Amino acid sequence: MTAILVMLTLPFMAAVTSFLFKNWKIQYAVTLLSAFLHLTVSFAIFTGFYIPEQFFMFGYDSLSKLFLVVLSNTYFWIVLVSYSYIKLPVESDSTSGKKYYFMLMNFYIIANTAAILSNHFAMYWVAAEATTLSVAPLVYYSRSQESLIAMWKYLFIVSVGIAFAFIGILFLALSSKGTVLDGQQLYFSEFIKNAHLLSPVWLKAGFVFIFVGLSTKIGVAPMHAGDVDATSTAPSPIAALFSGTLRITALLGVLRMLQILKNTGSYEFAKFLLVTGGLLSILVTLIFMLKATDMKKMVAYSSVEHLGIIILGIGTGGLAFIGAMYHIVFNSMTKVGLFLCAGKIHHKYNSKNISEISGVLERLPWTGWLFLISFFAVSGIPPFGFFFSEIKIFEGMLFSQRPYILLITMFMFLLIFINMGNLFFKMLYRKDPQKEFVSNDEKFDVFHFTVISLMLIMIAVAVATPDVLSKNILDIANDFGMLP
Amino acid sequence: MQNVLSILFCLSLFYLVVTTSVKSYISVLRMQGVLLVILMILPFIPDFSIFGLILPLTMLVVKVILIPRYMEKIMNDLNIKREIESTLQQFNFLLLSCFSMAVIFIVSNYLSKSTEFAVIPFATAFSAVTIGIYIIMFRKKLIVHVIGFLVLENGIFMFGLAVASEFPIIIELGSLLDVFAVVFLMGIAINKISSTIFTDDRLAQRRDP
Repeated sequence: MTAILVMLTLPFMAAVTSFLFKNWKIQYAVTLLSAFLHLTVSFAIFTGFYIPEQFFMFGYDSLSKLFLVVLSNTYFWIVLVSYSYIKLPVESDSTSGKKYYFMLMNFYIIANTAAILSNHFAMYWVAAEATTLSVAPLVYYSRSQESLIAMWKYLFIVSVGIAFAFIGILFLALSSKGTVLDGQQLYFSEFIKNAHLLSPVWLKAGFVFIFVGLSTKIGVAPMHAGDVDATSTAPSPIAALFSGTLRITALLGVLRMLQILKNTGSYEFAKFLLVTGGLLSILVTLIFMLKATDMKKMVAYSSVEHLGIIILGIGTGGLAFIGAMYHIVFNSMTKVGLFLCAGKIHHKYNSKNISEISGVLERLPWTGWLFLISFFAVSGIPPFGFFFSEIKIFEGMLFSQRPYILLITMFMFLLIFINMGNLFFKMLYRKDPQKEFVSNDEKFDVFHFTVISLMLIMIAVAVATPDVLSKNILDIANDFGMLP
Repeated sequence: MQNVLSILFCLSLFYLVVTTSVKSYISVLRMQGVLLVILMILPFIPDFSIFGLILPLTMLVVKVILIPRYMEKIMNDLNIKREIESTLQQFNFLLLSCFSMAVIFIVSNYLSKSTEFAVIPFATAFSAVTIGIYIIMFRKKLIVHVIGFLVLENGIFMFGLAVASEFPIIIELGSLLDVFAVVFLMGIAINKISSTIFTDDRLAQRRDP
């Protein structure tokens, strides 16, 4: 109980402090301290060093342990770079967006922690809605017209989506009519235990509503529009949080629902929906890459692709499911690198247009090389994490009932790799027409330090997977009944 | 009694479909809020307790007073035109809504044979969700979209009552707070959007040739 309270109250205190003190240094120090303590506690829970009790509507299992550590880790690194980020100038004249930056970041971590640790469907819903509320004003950080429209779109689409998810939750309550769960609270654990008693029609309807509703937040096609716009216009640290953690929090709701469906006759139906959503997401990424002109949007679509492959892996089941869990871990680290580099390039060139960005390697050597490495990481080149997780997903797909899906996926992946590579190499290597006017004395800073650290951590985790991680992921697969 | 109130709620939906004034949209929101509050209080009348009144009272404050007031304030501040423009002809909109509601009522009646729930509130709630989405899809103006979203939210509240699933009070209050905060943020966004985009030079020129 103490641990969970600490994880919720510490950021709250930091948020209040950030609101009261106008000095950025104080706000940064307090937020960084709370992020560090949050990371320590979630790491202690993850490794089993500390075992907290369940209380009220909060509890945890192997799935939430993994998601919590992914959230904490990404958040800590993002907070670390935030001070340097807010010192950078913004596009518009107004700097009022910076005022509430740290306060909103703290609310973000509270809402996400509450969503991940909730053991009750309605509590999860309230917390998931709160994550949207905390992150939407951060999208409007630069106070530009584009970011305003992106914020509006995100807020509106996701609010409607999450309202749909609530209908799904009520359907779940309906499915329990006439069983022992009738009139009981909607605890995940109780529903999973008594899944076979639930009415299949309402269960299926509930899954459809929850999946479609949360898709707006996960960024699964065809509901990805608001999410992509928000990710591509948000400040780069926030965009990295979007990709690595917010989408995962939303995915948790779908996974809980799947866990219930697993022991019923409706499981095949859910698998079909997930596989279709995953394939569609990869397809829309491919279509976008063919005509991409906007660098940040390209990076945002890369998230749609990777969430697509995660959903695909979960839908395929078996080994692919285990691969998808590893993919979630590596995705959070890779995306931080990709977005932070893209953000630096955006600031330097004052443009997101790929045709206006050239000679990055000469003008920004540190960022350029890290951007290139991030591209390799995101494309699944060894020894980066995606290689290992994708191999598992592909192997799982090969030995599933529909191996031809593997062929389609790999073909689309290849085309995305070629097109994305083409755009990356254009930005990095093309001769810079203004070369003589600009200096290329880029200094090593905290952004580069963060990207390099995360890349190294990722390679270490991928090559020599710690026992505690592999055991935790096996436990998740066991909870989901994915192991033979 | 529950059925009578639900039918009144349905009528308010029809009014939303036929009217074209933003003011009456806001009045309908108020009326729906009152209906929801009465629906929530009904089960408490036999065994009255002060504690049971917390949620309906909060609902009354949020849905009947705060949100409609806020909408009116935005309308006045921005000098929004009273008339609502639609991308669909008025008659077709009515036809589509009537057809959808008829389908919803028939399907709900069919479904109630296998699962026990109150048919009329259930179908009304689903109709409100559908009409809310139609308003978002077929009506222009951002403020009207927000009202469409609120109608959808009202539908979901009603749905919760029809399914008779009781959540702990903290969750109900949390979800009310969430809805209010969403509307508040949307209001700020509308304010900013209209002050940055609609005062754009190009638009000003177009208005004043």
